[in-house]
Amino acid sequence: MTSEIFFQTLINGLFTGGIYALVSIGLTLIYGVMVIVNFAHGEFLTIGIYTAFWSVTLLGIDPYMSIPIAIIIAGILGAVIQRGLVQQVLDSHPLHQIVLLVGVSLLLIGVIQFSFGAEPKAMHVPYETEVIQLFGLRMAIPRLIAFGASLFISIGLFIFLQYTKIGKAIRAVSQSRQAASLMGINVNLIYMLTFGIGAAITAVAGVLLSPNHRMIPTMGEAYSVIAFLVVVLGTMGNFVGAFIGGLIIGLVEAYAGFYLGGDVKIIASMLIFIVILLFKPSGLFGRKR
Amino acid sequence: MGNMSTHSINNQNKLIQFLFGTWERTQLSISAGLLLLMVFSPLVIKSPYYIGVITLACLYAFIGISWNIISGFCGQLLIAHIIFIGLGGYTTIVLLNNYGISPWIGIPIGGFVSGIAGVVVALITVRYGLKLDYFALFTIALLVALRTLFLKWEFVGGAVGMYLRQETPSLNRMIFISKLPYLYIACSLLLFGIIIQYLTYKSKFGKYFIAIREDETAAAALGVNLTKYKTLAVMIGTALAGLGGGFYIIYVTYIDPTGIFNLGFNAEMVMASPIIGGLGSLVGPILGALVNKPIAEIIRANLAEARSGITMIVYGIFLISAVLFLPRGLAGLIQTLYYRWFHGITSTHQEGE
Repeated sequence: MTSEIFFQTLINGLFTGGIYALVSIGLTLIYGVMVIVNFAHGEFLTIGIYTAFWSVTLLGIDPYMSIPIAIIIAGILGAVIQRGLVQQVLDSHPLHQIVLLVGVSLLLIGVIQFSFGAEPKAMHVPYETEVIQLFGLRMAIPRLIAFGASLFISIGLFIFLQYTKIGKAIRAVSQSRQAASLMGINVNLIYMLTFGIGAAITAVAGVLLSPNHRMIPTMGEAYSVIAFLVVVLGTMGNFVGAFIGGLIIGLVEAYAGFYLGGDVKIIASMLIFIVILLFKPSGLFGRKR
Repeated sequence: MGNMSTHSINNQNKLIQFLFGTWERTQLSISAGLLLLMVFSPLVIKSPYYIGVITLACLYAFIGISWNIISGFCGQLLIAHIIFIGLGGYTTIVLLNNYGISPWIGIPIGGFVSGIAGVVVALITVRYGLKLDYFALFTIALLVALRTLFLKWEFVGGAVGMYLRQETPSLNRMIFISKLPYLYIACSLLLFGIIIQYLTYKSKFGKYFIAIREDETAAAALGVNLTKYKTLAVMIGTALAGLGGGFYIIYVTYIDPTGIFNLGFNAEMVMASPIIGGLGSLVGPILGALVNKPIAEIIRANLAEARSGITMIVYGIFLISAVLFLPRGLAGLIQTLYYRWFHGITSTHQEGE
């Protein structure tokens, strides 16, 4: 592997990792606050990518202009699912939580497939194959935009969580539900909000992925699994951990893909997942419980 | 005369007592009744299509039982249970196609292979203390890894999958023209499953499973060997799943990695029946399968041609509403009625949940 290929693979890995980071941040946020693994998480990405597709097809706008639409659709849907369904099982056995969310996942996939058909779709934008050359490295424009936007949104959300009143309330609830409630925080509202935000940024990841990307209703599952992996790697509930974990998995996939071939890279990721689960389930940033 | 009638009333009472004396016996009687209904259904139902639906309902009940032992009795969140159905199925069809070994031997070997795989998975996860969500995620990662592996593995057909060769009917190869033999094999499997489930439930280790489900730490403190009994529960369940998988492949004549190592199909085949029927009860998987399979099949036949996706919507709603409105499933509902009718108890505290 020459240094040029090495750096090219690095760039590709980081670009993929940016999307993974965004999806995983949504999952880790929901887990951190509600201690529930959102098994329907990838479906919000599917919602995002289909929103971009239909915005381009029907409204004729640029896919990136559909980000606000995706935020509104996924955000409201997420909040409704939280209030209507997830809220009811917050104190139930984990099995009931998992079964409920698997049900939600099937329902969402079913509705998407019913509405738009099971056949693969792809969306095209004029600049999808344009490439920027920088220090001899090739960067496709849509992927560069996706990476920049992922960074921007992640940092923005981090600042929001650190410095705004609502962000502090979210962090307070994730630390202790009772204490937060005693401080006058409306815990149920924070739950709804957090699920909405988690769903919305995942949908944004879908929009960012949309140019020149094949889409099928069941595509979310792959991203769910990657998000589980990233979130466990970066310690469940840890925001920064999910971001760094996303980049790491992106890089691992890029290099594994280079050496082992396109499909086998998934096995590499899954083996990493299994090894982490076995040897350090608390993740890179976790303390021993 | 009077004497005679008191005598027969006494006998009748004894029979009722025998069949419905306790909730356990009631569950067994209902299971046996439903099984007999399925066995004798061809007397009324002649259409091969509906016989096929009943056969699959029977198989789903059997697979539901296999998951019920792991998740319902022992409380282990082996979500991607379909892994072991796939392994059993692949074993059976590889043995038949590549080595000419009859399914009558291949299906038990499939069960054996799945059971061994289950033991390996259980030992690894218990050794490293994976529990609840983490265990569930582990099984899903395993599912995705196996799917990718099987897609690349040309020996088992790769992405194309494997078809049953030689479609000439023969008892030895378990290929029949009529649908009836398949129904009877499925019914025998279900009978076997009901017996294994009941024996597990009644046995000492079955009680340990339930203790582990209720409170792992407390069970360990009382001297229950967690590694041993969790592994045992997973082994029984996965071995049964392997048997079910082997028969499933022979019945549908086809297997491929994306079709079988699939979370949506997992929800349909593994999770839906016990969840609807009542996880942790004896009769739940059978009740659930009889609701789950026929309804889904009717929808698939009547609506799915117009638009795909309906089946998934239905299963999604099944799972969601079972959790929200019927957390103890149909069995829980029947149990409440049972205590009201037979024992005059209106509020029940029971073992099911």
